[in-house]
Amino acid sequence: MAAVLPARPGWRLHHIVLAAGAIAFLAWCADGVNLRPKELAGALPVIGEYFARMWPPKWEFSAVLWKPALETLYIALWGNVIALLIGLPLGLCAAGNVVKSLAVRSAAKAILNLLRSISELIWAVFFVAAVGLGPFPGALALGVNFGGILGRLYAEALENIDPGPVEALAATGASRLQVIAYAMLPQALPQFVTYNLYWFEVGVRSATVLGMVGAGGIGFELVTTIRLFEWRECGVVLLLILAMVTVIDLASTYIRSRIY
Amino acid sequence: MILRIKGLSKVYPGGTQALSSVDIDVPAGQFLVILGPSGAGKSTLMRCINRLVEPTSGQIVFESKEITGPGRDLRATRRQFGMVFQQFNLVKRLSVLTNVLTGRLGYRSVLRSLVYSFPEGDKRIAIECLARVNMERKAFQRADTLSGGEQQRVAIARALAQEPKVILADEPVASLDPKIARQVLTYLRQVAKELGITVLCNLHQVDYAREFGERIVGMSRGSVVFDGAASDLSDQVLRKIYYEQAA
Repeated sequence: MAAVLPARPGWRLHHIVLAAGAIAFLAWCADGVNLRPKELAGALPVIGEYFARMWPPKWEFSAVLWKPALETLYIALWGNVIALLIGLPLGLCAAGNVVKSLAVRSAAKAILNLLRSISELIWAVFFVAAVGLGPFPGALALGVNFGGILGRLYAEALENIDPGPVEALAATGASRLQVIAYAMLPQALPQFVTYNLYWFEVGVRSATVLGMVGAGGIGFELVTTIRLFEWRECGVVLLLILAMVTVIDLASTYIRSRIY
Repeated sequence: MILRIKGLSKVYPGGTQALSSVDIDVPAGQFLVILGPSGAGKSTLMRCINRLVEPTSGQIVFESKEITGPGRDLRATRRQFGMVFQQFNLVKRLSVLTNVLTGRLGYRSVLRSLVYSFPEGDKRIAIECLARVNMERKAFQRADTLSGGEQQRVAIARALAQEPKVILADEPVASLDPKIARQVLTYLRQVAKELGITVLCNLHQVDYAREFGERIVGMSRGSVVFDGAASDLSDQVLRKIYYEQAA
């Protein structure tokens, strides 16, 4: 006997109208950002020329660079620790299955939104003004901005856990905090670790530009070489950043694959 | 009577009448099977007893004290009732031993348990409970490395660790194959007898109910439609439990 499928729903008029609308909106925005593909095509050789000037990289320069490169890693690492300290309590307060009170959840979400919506570069400007130049304001800036992002991700991870063990522990007579510690956090932990590793990686990339506003790290050397037209030195900086990000990316991918 | 349920009703927000005026008296030490199809209100009944669900009206009297209504010590009440679930509900990433130790949380201060530390006495109780279901050799394995039947035995050990007066088992074998299901029910009956624990066990399979129930309460659409011995469970009664439409 042949199987009979029900008719597949086809394209409807409103689908076509919506698609046309979306394309029109994109075109309108293109005008807004002054898209000029022709000029870009003309400028490609110029960009290529800059990169050509970086060759061969001036390897001796790396003797100066290892210290700021290490500083960049410190900033990313402590930025993540600060982000964890800010994000975890706020994330717990923002998760619907942890906190029942709508007022508390809304307040936590509002704070997280505020931290997240101001970019780490802007935070760095504030913190440099507050605590002075150096890696410390850099770590604070990353911590505050990433805290806002991680807090939201933590809250989502918590909301997606299996509610069964939560009910089971409540049934034993465990208090609310005990249920959170024994049924909720263990379930969300692998997610938390994954997010932190990924944002450490992002942190290293971000920390490379924080130096531009005086917040420590390798970004300062990068900007200096560009300002002084030291292209061969600039090439070394870029290659070093590429190497750091690649190594961290590989390491964190490996660690993440081993967590279950 | 260790447990008296009087006129218990539950209407969920949205208007579903899950229980309508249920009366059941349970003598201490009984293995009582509550039999009925899905949606008969068996789970709601259990969750009203340990107050995971607040009943709309009616009374539950446990050891001559009323445990329904506001202002009661919820933790103290819940400690008396161990619960076993269809989906086992172990915390999969924690060890078997830690899972059983969570049965002691109701007795412990929040502060100490938040650093994941338990008194020696609690650990002894937990290992003893594991031994009762023959799972002590797997104490340090992660819960998600166990088979379904083993997980349910650990869940029984967790309930025992509460040193409860009553165990509420909500479809404890519905996710297990027949051989493992009998084994788990046998463990449950055996430890309950040894420790003098009263058991309320929700089931939807008639043959298990006949085999394990000292007494069977049949439920259909939120009401008790049968209350008697397994030998009185006639075909006519079964039709009433499983097939009868709204009167």
